[in-house]
Amino acid sequence: MQKSEMRIGVDTGGTFTDVIGLVNGELRSWKLPSTPGQFERAVLEGASEVSKGEAARLIHSSTVATNALLERTGARCALITTEGFRDVLELGRQTRPDLYALCPQKPAPLIPRSRRLEIKERVAADGSILTPLDVEALPGLLDQLRDLEVDAVAVVFLFSFLRPEHEQEVGRFLRDAGFQVSLSHEILPVFREYERCSTTVVNAYVQPEMTRYLDLLEAQAEALQLHGLKIMQSNGGILSPQRAGALAVQTLLSGPAAGLQGALELAKASDRVKALNLITFDMGGTSSDVALIQDAPGLTTEICLESFPIGVPMVDVHTVGAGGGSIASVDSGGALQVGPASASAVPGPACYGAGGPPTVTDAHVVLGNIRPQNFLQGRMTLDVDAAVDALTQLGREMGGLTAVQAAEGVLRLVNLHMENAIRVISVQRGFDPALFTLMGFGGAGGLHVFALAEALQIPQVMVPCHPGVLSALGAAVSSMREELGGTVMQKWDKEKTPAFVAQWVCEYKKALRKRFEFPEALVFQLRLEMRYVGQSHELQVSISPDEIAEVPARFHDEHAQRYGHAERDAEVELVTLRVEAEWPAPVCELPILAPRKPEDLPSELDTGVHLRERIRRGDMIVGPALIVEDFHSMLLPKGWRVEADQVGNLLGSKVEGGIYE
Amino acid sequence: MSDERYSATDLAVIQHLFSAIPEEMGAVLGRTAYSSNIKERRDYSCALFNAQGHLLAQAAHIPVHLGAMPRSVEAVLDAFPSLQAGDVVMLNDPFCGGSHLPDVTLVSPLFLKDAANVSGYAATRAHHADVGGMTAGSLPHSTSIYQEGLRIPPVYLMRRAVLEETVMTLFCANSRNPEERKGDLRAQLQAHVLAELRWNALGCRYEAAELDRMGQALLGYGKRKMQAFLKTLPQGSWAHEEFLEAADKDHAFTRIHAVLKNDGEGVEVDFSQSDDAVSGSLNAVQAICESAVYYVILCLLADATAGELIPVNQGTFALIRCKTRSGSVVNAGLPHAVAGGNVETSQRVVDTVLGLFAQVLPDRVPAQSQGTMNNVTMGGRDGAGKSFSYYETMGGGAGAGQGVRGADGIQVHMTNTLNTPVEAFEYSYPLTVCRYALREQSGGEGAFVGGQGVVREWEMNVDTEVTLLTERRALSPAGAAGGGAGKSGCQIRRTQEGKEEKLASKGSWLFKPGDRLRIETPGGGGYGNPEE
Repeated sequence: MQKSEMRIGVDTGGTFTDVIGLVNGELRSWKLPSTPGQFERAVLEGASEVSKGEAARLIHSSTVATNALLERTGARCALITTEGFRDVLELGRQTRPDLYALCPQKPAPLIPRSRRLEIKERVAADGSILTPLDVEALPGLLDQLRDLEVDAVAVVFLFSFLRPEHEQEVGRFLRDAGFQVSLSHEILPVFREYERCSTTVVNAYVQPEMTRYLDLLEAQAEALQLHGLKIMQSNGGILSPQRAGALAVQTLLSGPAAGLQGALELAKASDRVKALNLITFDMGGTSSDVALIQDAPGLTTEICLESFPIGVPMVDVHTVGAGGGSIASVDSGGALQVGPASASAVPGPACYGAGGPPTVTDAHVVLGNIRPQNFLQGRMTLDVDAAVDALTQLGREMGGLTAVQAAEGVLRLVNLHMENAIRVISVQRGFDPALFTLMGFGGAGGLHVFALAEALQIPQVMVPCHPGVLSALGAAVSSMREELGGTVMQKWDKEKTPAFVAQWVCEYKKALRKRFEFPEALVFQLRLEMRYVGQSHELQVSISPDEIAEVPARFHDEHAQRYGHAERDAEVELVTLRVEAEWPAPVCELPILAPRKPEDLPSELDTGVHLRERIRRGDMIVGPALIVEDFHSMLLPKGWRVEADQVGNLLGSKVEGGIYE
Repeated sequence: MSDERYSATDLAVIQHLFSAIPEEMGAVLGRTAYSSNIKERRDYSCALFNAQGHLLAQAAHIPVHLGAMPRSVEAVLDAFPSLQAGDVVMLNDPFCGGSHLPDVTLVSPLFLKDAANVSGYAATRAHHADVGGMTAGSLPHSTSIYQEGLRIPPVYLMRRAVLEETVMTLFCANSRNPEERKGDLRAQLQAHVLAELRWNALGCRYEAAELDRMGQALLGYGKRKMQAFLKTLPQGSWAHEEFLEAADKDHAFTRIHAVLKNDGEGVEVDFSQSDDAVSGSLNAVQAICESAVYYVILCLLADATAGELIPVNQGTFALIRCKTRSGSVVNAGLPHAVAGGNVETSQRVVDTVLGLFAQVLPDRVPAQSQGTMNNVTMGGRDGAGKSFSYYETMGGGAGAGQGVRGADGIQVHMTNTLNTPVEAFEYSYPLTVCRYALREQSGGEGAFVGGQGVVREWEMNVDTEVTLLTERRALSPAGAAGGGAGKSGCQIRRTQEGKEEKLASKGSWLFKPGDRLRIETPGGGGYGNPEE
């Protein structure tokens, strides 16, 4: 075994940069304001604070690519397509986002028509070349690109994933001329041209800024003895900065993916969580994210960001527009509405005292679930009267209710929104939430997690230790991951297909081994996208490469699990084949929480109000109670109790018939 | 001003509880169906009804089903007033609860566990790719319903949870893709199984009588919301007309005429003065007319209550009356052909109703959009001798509005189906797509220009029969408030020898290998004077 070296995870958020350092069972954490524009400053400052000058490995979940996309500050790009298809990017799937909009609007494409060029070439669906690449047009194309003054170029040819030569040739030519190039068969070698084009264009758009940032970060980190920089990808694995720069689109959900890895790590560390079946519930100011973990977070290729489809595998996080800042109002038919409009930071909820509207946070203030003296460590004064006034006014509009009644209504409705979100990722996919542990975190997660568990009949709740730095922790403990593969589109033939798959697996394994320092330690996984012949939606099957023969059976099982029925006699089609290689990260011990000693202060401050930092291993708190800590508080209702496990997670269960009786 | 029994919170909760059921039914149906019409193009809807057959919630993925689902349930209840648990009734008869033959609707009663009385109904409607008839895809240039495919009045598909195999067999035998039909029907049935499950989950939380009261409260909520909006409209009477093109060989134009009356209590849209039914397939039935009227008013409601939830239930529509004359082009009867009424006439009815409201709310109503679905059907046998049939609708330009330019290349109004990706298409069919682009300069001029249409060009690799059912080839989508009209659409055949021929808006043609078809869809109208 190699000598254990400190692993530092740094997560950059819009407001704060969180840092965790792990070494020999010791955990150091740090939080500092992010430095937009020069994100690397806070990253390095925070990491140095934690490493204290010792050598360490640095792993980073970055928001740079995401910000460039959200704020539209990415590169000036051009797109080159097969002749006749430059508008695919703008046509999308021809649908309008809002069914009942009088004047439907689509988001403007990242590359306008004036910077979308075409070249003669065409590959057919069987991989044959219908029209050879018009190489003589390349110099003219180059002139056009120079006139357009672009920094980066996306190249998307039809069926390039079957026959990449044309894209490769254009790619070589443009790279030699000094352009940053994203080739669609390298970014997302799967069929459906719009989704591939959108993903490739987003990559081209965010890549230059990401590369610039990572180069800077890596150089400065080395100087601080922070070695082996790795970047968190949206699929939960980590990657070298060079690869993360080239595949910048793979880092768009860097932070959320790290958060799920962190949640998983804390569940693993707990002696109280038996199966790694988790539903995570991360409630923020404007929205809440829910995700399902079964040993590992589920992945999806169907995420849209800023309404642009991103087809690379990413953690399957479902977002609902309800958070602490969600505004409550009464609509024209007399029904209460909470969200999706949010009070954001300015004016903020009514209790910020800046004339804001009634929000979920205000409802908590009115009901006493947020104590002014503990709010954000007392760094911000809460205007309780303003919250009461806002809810009183809302109660009047709700037909003469008191502020307390109105607040209860607001919470009931917002809980329903989140309950529905959890149903979407569990019940609707064939999973019984009662077999999962519901994990609540984020600013307001602890205030709702027990009510949700009650509504969904989930018997076990977990509020993790370090709920504020989960993503940084996740980054620190994640493994290197790379994948290869693409669309193969063929009917599953019992005789031929397993050999075909095995041959590709063998080739991909060989290629993947070259990308790692220690190829012998790699763990391979086969990820297939499949469907019944005639269907047009694929299901993912993850399986070990040694079990290829089992694939059709696994697909039927997956179909039955997800949709309640399987057609075991029907023909099955293999659409996309991917091989993933993982180099497992060294196991990191988390610090153990000490049991209570006689001299320890009791956790209870006032009647029913506990301070989390005073809770010791094995302490049990029975609801109703409020447990407060920095940036977070937790509402434990009557009938529930929590107990601290050996790393400090709080595990909740029903008092009657609880599973720890 | 909410119900006495239910608070503002209760109403919101009820709306969520009920609407979650059809939403989830739709998720199941869409993902397990076989037809690309259903999955890729989302040509389906799911709905939940109370024990009286009143619509409680509808997950409308496609507005043309809005008014049609309640009609289906009505027809089923007329035919079978006392359905038992586990029964599922199927229908597609346009003259008895359906709209056009490819839209197959299933209706099942919902019983709470151990209850003797029905407490609700679930319905699913999905566009099946082929239900027989003259041409592949079942959207032929027919002159009678009997040419359009199998007509199914309400019949049992399941009785007491047992599949009526003979009915399934009969239905599938009439389709060119029997296996696909079976898969699609199974996907629909799966959605009904789910509805029963979820309904019973609600039953565990609320008693039957309580569920019924909750449903009534929801209808009251929908009605109040619509009432509040209608009250903001001036009272009076307005008229408007639009024309269908080449609906049959005797009529270059067929008039759709409507009168809107608002008396302060509710609105009535009266289509009585529309022309008689035509001998072609563009006839619509009452349900389609209602869908179009409801759609326009829902858009206006959504516009007036931006950011608020739009309840889609019987209460929302209670104050809207849609009057048609039996025997007219918008309320045809047997034995008229109706295949195109659902896809094309519905769009023209929308234009007509928007034309009425443009006089009421001139600042809110945009210029005309492309006003057609550009239905393309191609069929034949591939190189291996296997028959294929492909159906697609094409987007075009949307109309510009006050302050906004029209969206380019988008599905408008009564449909919102996805395109078939070029790569998915070429994997499945012996044709090559040569071009897929925006149609430049096709949007109407204006202070805000209309959206651009789409150009799509195919080359045939085998003998292919092409059937087109399109509108807005002669008359252009009109501009508004001084804006110019969008360009009308066109379709061109180019033979291998390079000869170009403009094709009619409706018809069937045989294409040889090497021949190309190019369709240019209409642009949207512009809004406002371009000089200003």
